[in-house]
Amino acid sequence: MPTASDQTPRWFRQPRRSWVLAALAPLLAVTAGACGAAAPEASGGSQGAAESGKLVVWDWHSGDAKTKAYYDKAKTDFEGKHPGVEVEFVAQPYDQYYTLLGTAIQAGKGPDLAMFNGGAQLRERAASLIPLDEKTKDLSERLTGWDAFKDKGTTYAVPITLQGFPFYYNKSVYKKAGLDPEKPPASLAELKADCAAIKKAGTACFNLGNKEGLGIEFFLSGFAPGVFSPQQYDAWLAGKRDWSSPEVKQIFQLWKSSNDEGWYNQGVNSTAMFMDQFTMFSGGKGGNVIGLISDTAHWKDFDEFLGPDLGVYQPPVLNPANATKTYLPAEGGIGYGVMKWTKNQELAVDLVKSLASTDALKLFYGNAGAIAADTTIDTSDATVPAVKSIVSWLPDSKPLLHTALSAKTLDLIHRLSQQLINGDVTVDQALTQLAASDK
Amino acid sequence: MRERGVARWVIAVPMLLLALATVYPMLFTLNVAMKSRREYVLDRFAPAEHVSFANFAEAWNSSGLGRYTLNSVIVTAGAVALLLLLGSMAGFAFSQLNFRGRKSLFLLCLGALMIPFQVIMVPFFRVLGQAGLLDTHLGLVLAYTGQFLPFTIFLMTSFYARVPQEVIEAARVDGSSTLGIYRRIMVPIGRPALLSVGILNALFCWNDVLISLLVLQSERNRTLMVGVTALRGQYSDNIPLFAGGVLVAVFPVILVYLFFQRQITDGVTAGATKG
Repeated sequence: MPTASDQTPRWFRQPRRSWVLAALAPLLAVTAGACGAAAPEASGGSQGAAESGKLVVWDWHSGDAKTKAYYDKAKTDFEGKHPGVEVEFVAQPYDQYYTLLGTAIQAGKGPDLAMFNGGAQLRERAASLIPLDEKTKDLSERLTGWDAFKDKGTTYAVPITLQGFPFYYNKSVYKKAGLDPEKPPASLAELKADCAAIKKAGTACFNLGNKEGLGIEFFLSGFAPGVFSPQQYDAWLAGKRDWSSPEVKQIFQLWKSSNDEGWYNQGVNSTAMFMDQFTMFSGGKGGNVIGLISDTAHWKDFDEFLGPDLGVYQPPVLNPANATKTYLPAEGGIGYGVMKWTKNQELAVDLVKSLASTDALKLFYGNAGAIAADTTIDTSDATVPAVKSIVSWLPDSKPLLHTALSAKTLDLIHRLSQQLINGDVTVDQALTQLAASDK
Repeated sequence: MRERGVARWVIAVPMLLLALATVYPMLFTLNVAMKSRREYVLDRFAPAEHVSFANFAEAWNSSGLGRYTLNSVIVTAGAVALLLLLGSMAGFAFSQLNFRGRKSLFLLCLGALMIPFQVIMVPFFRVLGQAGLLDTHLGLVLAYTGQFLPFTIFLMTSFYARVPQEVIEAARVDGSSTLGIYRRIMVPIGRPALLSVGILNALFCWNDVLISLLVLQSERNRTLMVGVTALRGQYSDNIPLFAGGVLVAVFPVILVYLFFQRQITDGVTAGATKG
């Protein structure tokens, strides 16, 4: 009796080679991936760019209804100046954004322009961007926050917004706790006393969500102006970081002791910062929160729910021997860079300029509540008192400390912050690990 | 008799708790989707005071979920059809035909199951780009086929391995060709497994975000789950709108379960006990 294989017709037997290839495909793909990762193409050309008369922009904001007017304005301006050239904004989900961009960079193929957070996210990808110093000289005076978009002194993206970490507070929670709602804490003693009173009144003193470990970024950058001397602060930004200094230890010890003393809402390590932490604060379930000045969790968002009960203050002075005067930690927030593979780079730079135009940024500020990087935008008519305070503090602000760290050290600090809260590591152990990572 | 009653309760209570744990997130999402943003912020757990379907309408209309749904239907249908064709043919060959290197090839297919997509993202992106398939539905159909084929082959091979050799041999004696055996015997016998695998693959394709994000880069070509994910901005604060979008996106999946639950159960059972 013939076996099945004997009877297998020719057409069925022939594709064996294809099957072998198909079966080997994942292996080949992995090998190619390894090679690709080792030697990415320098340029691959965008999908169209000048040839197709189209510029593709990746960001995580253009799908938001609040920013629609801003993007419409920038697009109209640019297309008016360059008839025939189409602009396409592609809003990517933020949690996948840098993964997608990383893939595009490895493959040397992707958008012509991309949005970046200032600091580590930009620096890690600077090699895929064109230097903009010469091409954007005309913007240097009008815009601020450039330092966050520089790598080794070269500018790779144009700032659109500023980002900072002010302390917001809920005046009605302060009143309920028997505190003066017009007097937020200015020292460590006041902070501790206020937190004890707020806790006694049955509310969390601070809202915190550290599920992703981001809480420590806000804590470190938020409190540092009240702990470090100006010289120590500048040294940290310049890369001379002493993780064994008493000041760094004070911040990390406060991170641990504040949790032990019950300053926060329950389940800190299982609560998402975005947006559960801030939703709790907006909903009146916390006395204080370290928030943002742009993007979200900012004055406009909180004002919508808290109205006149919303207050804002600068970091309290925790170490008066060092920090006699406090200031707002703030720097460039988000910006646009031009990818190296973009065929018509001049056109792309022109689109960046439209995105950074005063008229467009006015809409970003007005509709989305972002503090624009444009120094010429008048905020004096703002109806929310918190934004007036924030804008008045900006001239004295200094960059955020955590954005000076590498992505690797940031990952580590996220994990250690959770372990500190859980009691799995001591402050000294955590700082030793961070010092080793930050070499 | 009394013992049987107690045993029933011992089984029923944990099952009830499991069912509640499964249903609660869906009810929570439905409740959130019917709230305004303000209501959600003030108390996310409380029942919606002013029930509204505005979030569903907004998610559908202003976010273009209608077009995304059509895109999802196109790529899911295309990929599932291709997966079933290739998977059933390969399953038949691996389980019933004798050829050199059969076991090694099958092991390679199994090995492919263990490679996470993130590992092959870059070469995958490059190949699609060089083939001119980026931002095309065909590109995503082929991507899904490549990604889910090892799983399909594994299941179909397991299922067809339980078909007695005698059935194949009897067909040979009757003069059937290999193609004839595949068409007239293996496909009808494999129908329950094909239905199960088809539904599972449809769910994989429908729910995928990462591959779709990578392949379909323009807004007009996006699939539904990507569209829903994009409803979140950097740190979107409109959770009720997001919840509305999520429910719109999972509605077809729930319908599939409701209409095909008997077939799904039959298919899984048949696959497990055949032979």
